[in-house]
Amino acid sequence: MDCEKFDRIVLDELYGELDELTSAAAKRHKEHCARCASIDAELQATREVGVLELFEPPDGMYERILQAERDTTRGLPLRKRLGRAVSILAGYAMRPQLAMAALLLLMIGSSLLFLRTQPGDHDHVSVTERGVPESESDPVTVVKKADSPSVLPHAAAHASARTDDSAARVLRAGAEPKPDPALAAEPKSAASANADGLTGPDTDPDTVADGDTAYDAAMAAYRDGRYSEAEQRFAEVANRGGNRAASAALYAAQARRMLGGCPSAGPRFEEVHARYAGTPASSEAAWQAADCYRSLGDVARARQNYQELLTDSSYKGRAESALAELDEHNSATELTPRKAAKSAPATAAAPPPTQSPAKPKAGEASP
Amino acid sequence: MAAVQSDATDEMLMVRYQRGERAAFAELLRRHNRPVYNFVRRLLGAPAVAEDVTQDVFMRLVQNAAEFKHEARFATWLYTIARNLCIDQLRRASHRRHASLDHPVACDDGQALGEIVADASGRASVERTAVSAEVRSSIVKAVESLSEEQREVFLLREVGNLPFKDIADITGVGENTVKSRMRYALDHLREALHDFEEYARALR
Repeated sequence: MDCEKFDRIVLDELYGELDELTSAAAKRHKEHCARCASIDAELQATREVGVLELFEPPDGMYERILQAERDTTRGLPLRKRLGRAVSILAGYAMRPQLAMAALLLLMIGSSLLFLRTQPGDHDHVSVTERGVPESESDPVTVVKKADSPSVLPHAAAHASARTDDSAARVLRAGAEPKPDPALAAEPKSAASANADGLTGPDTDPDTVADGDTAYDAAMAAYRDGRYSEAEQRFAEVANRGGNRAASAALYAAQARRMLGGCPSAGPRFEEVHARYAGTPASSEAAWQAADCYRSLGDVARARQNYQELLTDSSYKGRAESALAELDEHNSATELTPRKAAKSAPATAAAPPPTQSPAKPKAGEASP
Repeated sequence: MAAVQSDATDEMLMVRYQRGERAAFAELLRRHNRPVYNFVRRLLGAPAVAEDVTQDVFMRLVQNAAEFKHEARFATWLYTIARNLCIDQLRRASHRRHASLDHPVACDDGQALGEIVADASGRASVERTAVSAEVRSSIVKAVESLSEEQREVFLLREVGNLPFKDIADITGVGENTVKSRMRYALDHLREALHDFEEYARALR
């Protein structure tokens, strides 16, 4: 620090407004500079001596000002009062605690928005999505649910998946296919469907009751592996008509498949397909028929059925996959020696009886 | 009236008063009425006028309380009001310069200001009783003889205890100008007290 700079800061030093570093530098400079030390000493002395006396305010001035403040506050115009109120509110609003509380509430609100339950019918989701036993579906339910385009394709797709799984299990076991224990849920499902008023409005209640009983009996026989009896009973229900006729006919064909395999079941499926055209049972029968034709080596008819199913949105995907598989199979077959194909008997193309029929897909027609 | 924490800053008290807490105003008045009164009286000279102006200063504060910003320094705001009112008063009285010690001011007993200050038995409270009446008289004379600009800077610094930066804000001039005026005031005071050097040395 030099003298010029000291002159600039000497008053700050005198009144203690210098920061510590500059103050220390000024002190060091004073130690080596007599001129600046003298100036500083004179100013210090002047300040110490030249203290102005302070007058005492007149008596009562403090109280008079307080009283005037009360009077003035009472007489404040509305605009100023509002300004004061706004100032008070703003003072609270700007508090960090309030800001944090508002932020917290905002976060909780947005979390609730994102964590709310998914919309939809949970009953249907739990039954169809959770893989409740395959044969649980009620044919009556199938018919009524057909009105709901968003439910039927979904269920049909699952039914198809179950069909494939069941067939795979049968092939692995290499034994006579057993009825799916999941069919036990069928009567309950049918009863609940009736209870829900899902039966047709023009159906005679007695007929419905009889039909339900017969249908349940047929289903019980089917479940117990009494396929012959089941076929007969389902056929009776189908012949009687009603809203379970299509499903009963489909089950009858399934029972036939269990009894005699695809050679005898194929035409039955075709019959159900033709008779109940436009129903889910019809589409399922077409799919089963195609499956049978495929297992019998009748690729042309299988392809024909698959192509028909292309018009059904719920089967379209699987039909396309099946057609693609057929094309692949054809390509592979053309590469194999012809003599192998000639030596093979016609029935050899079909899987053994225990393997060829896919397990009856009672739930396939269910939505 | 509710009690107010004495360690609260002026700015905190003012914010509380903005929210309607009258006790905060009472505390502010208790802290500042004496220095403001002295600042006004030293600038205007007349005790009665100084009392009225001091009351006006605090009434302006009450009326404009909502305009006070928390970031601002309360003392700066208060002394700005006080200075403006003093200037208005001086203009009204056509006193462009402060009343001379040679002319009697409107004191109750008709004494000159210098006599009041110098009078040890006067109403002014004596902070340093050891200081002689002669010294006090010289101080007052020296201060009175300063120009208005130098005197207001000197009073704001010595009576209002405001830093130079705030004084610059109040007077509307640069900080260096403020320091220059203060330096001149101190030099003037030093010359007036030249005869009391021994006394000053004894104080140190």
